[in-house]
Amino acid sequence: MGALEENPPHRVSFERERGVYDVEVVRDIGHVVVKVGSGEDRNDRIARLFRQVADEHIPIFLIKLHRSSVSFAVRGDALERVEALLASKGERYRARRDLALVNVIASSMRDLIGVMVRIGDALQRANARLFATGDSHNSVQCLIEEARLHQAVHELRAEFGLEPTDA
Amino acid sequence: MPKIIVQKFGGTSVDSDAHRRMAARKVIAAKEAGYAPVVVVSAIGRAGAPYATDTLVRELKSIDPSTPPHPRELDMMMACGEIISTAVMAVTLQSMGYPAIALSGGQAGIITDDQYGNARIVAIHPNSILRAIERGQIPVVCGFQGVTTITEEAEHGSITTLGRGGSDTTAAALGAALKAQAVEIYTDVDGVKTADPDFVPDCRTLDVCTYEEVAEIAHQGAKVVHPRAAEIAMDHGIPLWVKSTFSDAPGTRIVSEQEVPPSVRQRITGVTHTGKIVFIRLEIANEAHKPLVEQEVYRLMARAGVNIYLVSFSTHAMSFAVSRELYPIARDLLDGMVVPIGSDPGARPISTFYIFKFAEGLDLAYSAQRPLLKPLEGMVEVVDVPGTVFENGTMVSVIAGRHRQVPGIMAAIFETLVGAGIQIYQVADSDMSISCLVAENEAERAVRLLHHRFNLGAA
Repeated sequence: MGALEENPPHRVSFERERGVYDVEVVRDIGHVVVKVGSGEDRNDRIARLFRQVADEHIPIFLIKLHRSSVSFAVRGDALERVEALLASKGERYRARRDLALVNVIASSMRDLIGVMVRIGDALQRANARLFATGDSHNSVQCLIEEARLHQAVHELRAEFGLEPTDA
Repeated sequence: MPKIIVQKFGGTSVDSDAHRRMAARKVIAAKEAGYAPVVVVSAIGRAGAPYATDTLVRELKSIDPSTPPHPRELDMMMACGEIISTAVMAVTLQSMGYPAIALSGGQAGIITDDQYGNARIVAIHPNSILRAIERGQIPVVCGFQGVTTITEEAEHGSITTLGRGGSDTTAAALGAALKAQAVEIYTDVDGVKTADPDFVPDCRTLDVCTYEEVAEIAHQGAKVVHPRAAEIAMDHGIPLWVKSTFSDAPGTRIVSEQEVPPSVRQRITGVTHTGKIVFIRLEIANEAHKPLVEQEVYRLMARAGVNIYLVSFSTHAMSFAVSRELYPIARDLLDGMVVPIGSDPGARPISTFYIFKFAEGLDLAYSAQRPLLKPLEGMVEVVDVPGTVFENGTMVSVIAGRHRQVPGIMAAIFETLVGAGIQIYQVADSDMSISCLVAENEAERAVRLLHHRFNLGAA
């Protein structure tokens, strides 16, 4: 018996779907915005802030640099420690808890045109305020209130033609 | 069933008789070791070489520069480079005493969807490959191409090309379809590096990588294995290797996370750089109106086909990046753009006009539009949205699996770059990497400094 008879060819899904193919969620996220000013010492203040948070063994993500502030996300269980640290150092900051990270996943996200507007429209329909965004080659990450998570995931899945799931 | 191994050779591995013979010796070594090699080849040479894909496309486009060729004919032309290369490689193997057969993508049973220029593989019917192996022949398959499903319009299927990284994708998909023992990607470097050797001469070749790492490295600028190929190999559990055609170095083995020790899963893998990026920042004074104005900006960019990324916003500003190639379009669209906003977002009449303004010299449309709004100022508020632009950016990325669970990586990056006087304009992070937008003329220094900071060099 030849190899062909032993292994009849069959249809296999070889490549991932074009465009958005999944929406994932991470619950219990905190978000922190720390004032660092826009003066000459801005970079030093940011470096000091990152070092202090690192020395407390707190991983940070969704990091964004703004003109006079820095923002980042932390796991919910680390937020209290971050706030205590910032307060002890006399930093001016604003913290939000009970947020969720919604990851819109796609192959080659940065080749997809118009994803942001579709995500924005879907979140608007879900009445989910966007606190921060991040993007990478395969995802757009949206930080929203956890209370709006179910509706946001529903709208995002509908927007991108994905099967509904329990968020 | 023989143990099948798929061996893919890139353009520089088949661009001369000497190189093709070196490539052929890798194939023969696999055959002599008891494997059934299936060879995939790219077009001969890189841009500028007579049979390189770019050269063929230029030839077709030169016929009528005012009218772009139809994508179907363009794909047919683009597929020729691999057809030539495949025939040449098969004959090279035959001349060395090994029976070989050249197969186009369609002849190899590679079926794609009908998106010309960027087709996706939907099925593989490898009958002809398996029959060739049964006959003792070495199948040499064209990378980068397939055919559409047979329809009434295209009775015998139309030739399609797979877009960027197409030959790697062919190799990985064939590996999956044939349940290969491994897929070997042969190139002109001896494996996956910790950085671009042109920037960091003492960078290391990694002996093992996870699929996720190599996909991230590829997405962030290193051109070793195309991420599509890594994804296919990952989804089907096929071990990938990156090796050099021109040396006997062992290369880099690419496997699943479960097959590597925790030290590999949590390590800093390398430093990459990519992209010519323009970063745009827009200041929107009214916090309540800002989401509506932002959404109009996204909508406008989408309509014009301008992809935006590195999106971030604060209370009174939004910023995003566009590729330098598309920046003129983005700027022309935004300059002088007027966004009307109602006092209640869902209601009329309009309470505010936002008009976008770039720095002097970039504000031609604003200068023309702004006076037209003057007569309305008694009835509505007219608010400028000042825009600033950083034109010469590039991304430098630290590839770090699970950095979101490991503290201190951002602190180390910031201290290293800012401490050396390199300004970070924005940051983007994912599960697998942290990327910093820096000035393009600082990219080399930034890569070198970070590579040194994370001790990635040769021991």
